[in-house]
Amino acid sequence: MPLNIDPQQILLHLFNLILLFGILYILLYKPVRDFMEKREEEYRKREQDTKDALSDAEKLKEQYESKLIEAERETADERAKMSADVEAEREKIIGDAHERADKIVEDARDKAQKEHDRLIARAQGEIAEYVSKAAEKIVMREGDLEDDFDTFFESSPVKKDTDNG
Amino acid sequence: MDKKKRTRFIIIICCILAVILAGIIATGGHSGEEEPVKMVMKDAVLHESARINFLGIMTVNPAVISAYTVTAIIFVFALIVRIFVIPKFTKIPGKFQLLLEQAVGIFDGLATSNSPQRHKFLGAYVFTAGTYIFVGTMFELIGAMAPTVSGGSVALPAPLADINGAISMGVFSYCVILSGGIAGNRIKGVLNTLKDFSLPISMSFRLFGALLSGALVTELVYYYITTSFVIPVFVAVMFTMLHALIQAYVLTMLTALFYGEVCTKEE
Repeated sequence: MPLNIDPQQILLHLFNLILLFGILYILLYKPVRDFMEKREEEYRKREQDTKDALSDAEKLKEQYESKLIEAERETADERAKMSADVEAEREKIIGDAHERADKIVEDARDKAQKEHDRLIARAQGEIAEYVSKAAEKIVMREGDLEDDFDTFFESSPVKKDTDNG
Repeated sequence: MDKKKRTRFIIIICCILAVILAGIIATGGHSGEEEPVKMVMKDAVLHESARINFLGIMTVNPAVISAYTVTAIIFVFALIVRIFVIPKFTKIPGKFQLLLEQAVGIFDGLATSNSPQRHKFLGAYVFTAGTYIFVGTMFELIGAMAPTVSGGSVALPAPLADINGAISMGVFSYCVILSGGIAGNRIKGVLNTLKDFSLPISMSFRLFGALLSGALVTELVYYYITTSFVIPVFVAVMFTMLHALIQAYVLTMLTALFYGEVCTKEE
């Protein structure tokens, strides 16, 4: 054949190639590729695990953040409520104190009034007594009791009012 | 570089050049006139004169012996790696493990990128083809000798520098592409593959031509005595290495490309 082409030798080369293909596939290509795939799979799995863990951590973080916000809100509500209660209590206490103070002042005023009345009455009584005594002394010392009495009686304001009408 | 070292370097270079010059002058009158260059070239292409006995059954071209020798070398290497290296693979690879992983990864990646649906078989094939072309071409550099049936000896060439080896490679690649077509698209895939009937021829002759051109240039350089000093070292090594890399890449890439094309499911 032209160019020394020989079908028998072509088949020999072909046989050699198929043999080489089998040898390389079994001894080198497959084991190395399997090892590489296994390692890749392992790293992929590890990456996936890391991603999952990261995702879980993110979720937990979000949960904690929402809980924190909720807690802060609750604290703020509680604080506002307590503040309102304290304010109400304070108002109540102040109101009570005012009431009590007013009562004390009123009582003191009543008491003072009574004391004042009592002192006035007492003073009046004493004055009347002194006047009586003084009058008695004067009468007893200077003469006719009857005249003096009439004079005194005539000069008293009660008598004047009776006369006038 | 200090002055002393530089002087020593210059003296060594001068000595080498003087020896080469002396060799050229001394052998100037015998420029391979016993066998004309035409015959040398023809023999390099056709391998008609130097035939080797194959297992006592038949006589074959030296490339067949090269092919089986390359397979034996690869087999021993793969066996050693399988028994002693692969079981000790670690998650953080060492230098040799990295080299193996890179070799497998490159061809696997080539197969995956060209044929995402079906790439396991293709990956294994392009790995085999790439390894065979690279190691086979580099094998030429060893310059192993084999006895011919005529009583002489011949340096074993690259397996694919023989037209029969190149044709078998092209046909095998075509069969792999055809199998991809059948697996992916059944009858339609077969028709798609058969449409490119020129593919095995183009693949075979591309491979053969590329490797042969390197061999011919090297033969030419060797043939003329004046260029057979020092220069062949660079020419042979450069041509062989370039062909080993380029052809391994080209054939595997083309196979992966066509395989991916025929096995893609059509809407």
